[in-house]
Amino acid sequence: MANPLKLYLTCVRNTLEAALCLQNFPCQEVERHNKPEVELKTSPELLLNPVLICRNEAEKCLIETSINSLRISLKVKQADELENILAKKFLRFLSMRAEAFQVLRRKPVQGYDISFLITNYHCEEMQKQKLIDFIVQFMEDIDKEISELKMSVSTRGRLVASEFLKQFL
Amino acid sequence: MFKVCLYRVRVKIFRGVPFHGSAEKPIEVDHHLYEFGSVEYYIKSSVSEPFTYLSISTPLLSRGVFPSHRLSPCTLRTIREISSDVLDIVEPPTDGYQLTLRLDFSKLPHNKESLKVITEVSSVQAVILSSQLKERLQNVNSWDMSQGMYVIREPFYVIRQPRKIVAVFPMRFKDHSDVIIATSFFQELMDVRSSGKWSKIPPCNWSPIPPPELRGELFEDLSTNGGFVSFDISSHHVEVKRLDKTVWSLLNFHGYVKHHVKCTRGFIQRRMRRRMDSLVQVLEKSMIENNEEIKRVKGWKKVKKWMKLTSKSKMIKGKYHDFTKKMKRIRFRVKIHGFGCFRRRWLTIACFSSSVGYSKLKKH
Repeated sequence: MANPLKLYLTCVRNTLEAALCLQNFPCQEVERHNKPEVELKTSPELLLNPVLICRNEAEKCLIETSINSLRISLKVKQADELENILAKKFLRFLSMRAEAFQVLRRKPVQGYDISFLITNYHCEEMQKQKLIDFIVQFMEDIDKEISELKMSVSTRGRLVASEFLKQFL
Repeated sequence: MFKVCLYRVRVKIFRGVPFHGSAEKPIEVDHHLYEFGSVEYYIKSSVSEPFTYLSISTPLLSRGVFPSHRLSPCTLRTIREISSDVLDIVEPPTDGYQLTLRLDFSKLPHNKESLKVITEVSSVQAVILSSQLKERLQNVNSWDMSQGMYVIREPFYVIRQPRKIVAVFPMRFKDHSDVIIATSFFQELMDVRSSGKWSKIPPCNWSPIPPPELRGELFEDLSTNGGFVSFDISSHHVEVKRLDKTVWSLLNFHGYVKHHVKCTRGFIQRRMRRRMDSLVQVLEKSMIENNEEIKRVKGWKKVKKWMKLTSKSKMIKGKYHDFTKKMKRIRFRVKIHGFGCFRRRWLTIACFSSSVGYSKLKKH
């Protein structure tokens, strides 16, 4: 792993370890309701300060915490048009299948490519460390996958172009 | 599709007797058929005549050497070679059409060869297009400079210059992601061509703006989202043995690119699906350890089930033993009291394989 990426991911990991201290908290507005406060933002006393971690202008991570839920929004690196469409396709593909991931949000927060919503219930069902490992590994794998996809598309294009030009020989 | 229509018309004319030479009752046929790329067919057959007339209207090379409403002699010669027995060219063609053929279905072969002939006749439109382009390409070294637009499904330009012919393809796509994938492909095409071992191939170039050769063309024809791909065809590429391949490659370039884009999208989809499965597995690992106790309970239940099964098998064995005993009693008609004990003691053969596991010693 390159140094800048490692530092970025370590920073995200440490912030998540501090932020993932969630507890059950029923809704103060509506009786017998239990809602993730980070989504509603109705009670400012239940929200913590959001933390924005920027690797560079193109890559950043926003962590918003509340008493019973945590939202992580990621902006993924997109160097050119091809990476742009590949990232868009892939992250949209994952978001449409959010129920398989449980902690994934169907729609990303505005200005970001993908968002996670972790509630206190998730923390009860899953191990906190493993959840943080998943988020960090997800960030790493996304970058790797988009780079590999781009390389595969270019390789396919090259092979197809060679086959087409062979017709003229 | 036109081939299927032509076959059905032929069957209709012969009233469902496709393999006989003479028609039982010829019928009137008057059909107009339309295909993509502004191609129109007109099939006419009447009771008074034994022939069927097929007229074709197809967009031809325009603003070029040949007027747009007539076919060249070379093209007509190529069409006659398709099947000289069955078809003949009618001069002049029907009004509004470039070509009219007279078909004599009675001369079709009497076996399944007839389908082959119908296939060849239905591909007349492709023969017209390819022969026009062949004619253009054969005169590469001509100093006559001219320009024409070739319209099939997707139009492309054929521009004659001194000692070469330039084929320019305006590329259009419906989706933005298709444009990006195609652009990446065009860049790879240029990279491959510029490498040393492909020097014999026509130079190809891609640009997002119209090339200078297309100056003066209509704005609607030059508005694209995929840029312009051009190939410089020289005399080397249109030698006798290479001409057919060059013509095929140029006529099918649009289709080739679109097929590649479609396959790439499918590949990306498959790759994403596989990646998603691997990512989900990572998350599931965080849940597995919490449910280990539940798995143990499930295991205990399995043992209980197995025990129930074994006890059931013992019950089944016992019932079978009772049943065989009953059957034996029924078979022995004469019952002697006390004979059962006598039989068991004196009439049964001794079994020497004992559960203790020792063998009987022989007397010396």
